[in-house]
Amino acid sequence: MIPQNFEYSAPNNLNEALALLADGNAKVLAGGMSLIPLMKLRLAAPEHLVDLGRVTDLKSIREEGGTIRVGATATHYDIESSPLVRGKCPLLAEAASSIGDVQVRNMGTIGGSIAHADPAADYPASLLALEAQVRIASAKGERTVGIEQFLVDALTTALDTGEIVREIIVPVEPANAGVSYQKMVQPASGFAIVGVAARVRKSGGKVAFVRVGVTGLAAKAFRATGVEKLLEGTTGSAADVQKAAAVVSDGADANSDLHASASYRQQMAKVYTARALTQALSRAS
Amino acid sequence: MKISGSYTLPVPPERAYELLQDPEVLARCMPGTERLAKIGLDEYEMKMKMVISAVQGLFAGKVRIADQKPPEQFRLIVEGSGKVGFMRGDGLLTLSSASPSTDVHYEGEVHVGGVIAGVGQRLLDTTAKIVIRKFFEKLAANAGQAAQAVAAPLSTQPPENSPSDSD
Repeated sequence: MIPQNFEYSAPNNLNEALALLADGNAKVLAGGMSLIPLMKLRLAAPEHLVDLGRVTDLKSIREEGGTIRVGATATHYDIESSPLVRGKCPLLAEAASSIGDVQVRNMGTIGGSIAHADPAADYPASLLALEAQVRIASAKGERTVGIEQFLVDALTTALDTGEIVREIIVPVEPANAGVSYQKMVQPASGFAIVGVAARVRKSGGKVAFVRVGVTGLAAKAFRATGVEKLLEGTTGSAADVQKAAAVVSDGADANSDLHASASYRQQMAKVYTARALTQALSRAS
Repeated sequence: MKISGSYTLPVPPERAYELLQDPEVLARCMPGTERLAKIGLDEYEMKMKMVISAVQGLFAGKVRIADQKPPEQFRLIVEGSGKVGFMRGDGLLTLSSASPSTDVHYEGEVHVGGVIAGVGQRLLDTTAKIVIRKFFEKLAANAGQAAQAVAAPLSTQPPENSPSDSD
């Protein structure tokens, strides 16, 4: 339970942090909710940790031009309790509030979570449904990629050597939209066995806009475009929802572990997709 | 843990069979392979460094090829252990011609134990699939290049073949 020796740096600003990370030998420490347990078990033994805890400008949550920009080291608690996020991007607040337990939410950060890219993490479902953008910074400059390009595979992201997540950009939700995140939780770890995020808008009695993101089912979270297409243009009746939710697992190479077999996961994905869509529809006006 | 899947290699079965047993090719395509040396008939010693996210594991072990029926099928037995745990895999590879390429189907069982299995149970299946997919993608790219170099007029397929069971 004691990690191997490592160097520790705690830079005070972003440029210092990026300079320390530039050579690729250091590992970023954000909330440490995944990294520290791995280090204690000696499964991970980074030689140098760069702690972003003191880089305060990475923590801000602000509104800008129809978007909400969430700093990478905003904790899950910062996000779930932010009046701005709760009011203008409730789906993200809902996802944040369903992560792990109180301790994890107080320490864990959104940037750390997506950079770790656990296939069962909660955020990716919502971020995919929100078509979020990820702003990436390094000593060489900045770039912004869509969340779909960012999540490459299980535990693998588009981040290159020396790059960190700077902020996550999500749209301000229109007032008439309905959103929901429904998760089948694995009680011991708090991770999702499956988690489904849905956003819908109605217009003239019809479902005019649907976005569905699914986590936990496959090696990486994905957008269920098949479900979206089937529901769009319908009246959003219970039968329409069931019909759309039924295709969520189509083509997905489902994960299998001690807690849930692949076929069980596929079945649960359908159930939780229907629940998320039903609740989102009931919240949309 | 049971694993299975299918991939396509852009070369005929005879060549695919050769490639799948060529230690140099295998060492190039298996993610993290640092050393693969012949120690006996159809038996190899290997050293691998697996890096998945923050987790790093050094494995040392053996690869054995058995039940050979060229160019249709063979059995691959892999054993390895390191500080973070051990793994033992046994898989049957079946090759079938899908002119001008080859469909490779694998089916087998992998046992993982030690610390890595204790804490990483949730991620084992996913990780195994990724490692296998990377191997076949790289092998297909290698095979494609070789095929183009040897018989350019015959091979019209691009080097990068998409695996049939990808997400």
